[in-house]
Amino acid sequence: MRRLYSDLHLRPNIRDFKQTVSMISKAAKLGYRLTAITFPSNCDERERQQIKEAGSEAGLDVATRVDLWSNTPNELVRDLRRHRRKFEVVCAVCQSKDVARQAAKDRRVDLLNFPSFDFRRRFFDLAEAELASNSLASFEIDMEPLLTSEGAGRIRFLSSLRREALIAADFHVPIVVSSGASNELLMRRPMELAIMGSLFDLKKDLALDAVSENPAAIVKRNREKLSSSFVAPGIRVVRRGKDC
Amino acid sequence: MLKRIKRRYLALEVDSAETFESKDFMNAVWSAVTKLYGEHGASQTGLSLIHYEPERKFALVRVACVACDMVRAALATMTRIGDKPVTVHVIAVSGTIKAVYKNVGQMLA
Repeated sequence: MRRLYSDLHLRPNIRDFKQTVSMISKAAKLGYRLTAITFPSNCDERERQQIKEAGSEAGLDVATRVDLWSNTPNELVRDLRRHRRKFEVVCAVCQSKDVARQAAKDRRVDLLNFPSFDFRRRFFDLAEAELASNSLASFEIDMEPLLTSEGAGRIRFLSSLRREALIAADFHVPIVVSSGASNELLMRRPMELAIMGSLFDLKKDLALDAVSENPAAIVKRNREKLSSSFVAPGIRVVRRGKDC
Repeated sequence: MLKRIKRRYLALEVDSAETFESKDFMNAVWSAVTKLYGEHGASQTGLSLIHYEPERKFALVRVACVACDMVRAALATMTRIGDKPVTVHVIAVSGTIKAVYKNVGQMLA
């Protein structure tokens, strides 16, 4: 069966509607069916709806995403409580070990993102993977740093990614490969993102799942939860009325 | 007996506002391959430019089949030619020039 490709991390400047629309059109042209656009946590419903409509005009399914840059575990819990029901994809950007551990065990977190290049500040280790494997969190790998860095920085970054991808595979934590693009020139075709996975020894079938099935599963699961007919996992309202 | 070397042809779209000479383009491709895989890796790719149309932003390169993914990864990491921003997308891959042009024709139609 033909795969439907997704990129869960596009970072256009939301205030610049023209750039956002051109990135959405570009994603559709590159062969994506689903993308998630990162919105600021304080953006309103009307703005999100406007961008979703622009996506459907371009033939692309646009999901809403928020990145939570929390400094402490308590702050993360508070942010999750505040934003979980507003966005279809929630990513915890882990800047400290405490936040990373809290994000890995919280079932409201969809993606774990580690922005730092420094291997000492990347907290996806065995303990983190074990916690993530018992919750719903996936490990997200952004490709933008690979494109914008070079030399020793890129070598160390690849080395960290190789170790982390191996740990994620061992603990069956789903991997999501995203572009993390902030402009059109940093966007790549889904096959190119999957092939770039070979740079950190990601097997081809895992890499293809990381740009198709894994991200699509996250969005599908969350849309189901956010729908009005959702009651609990496995239970939903099929019909309303007095005769039920 | 020597084994026949299998090759792949990659049709590329050079996505940029600027146009580039074929020499500059290939230098940038070799540079990307060398940066990622070193000179030893680059020597295994069998990379050569078959056709280049700067106006249509189209290029056709030949690579060794075993190094096809290496070259594709290296092309994906290209962000500049000289000091001008660029992105290179692989639009079709095939084992013969005839088939790759057929695939590109279908995509552009």
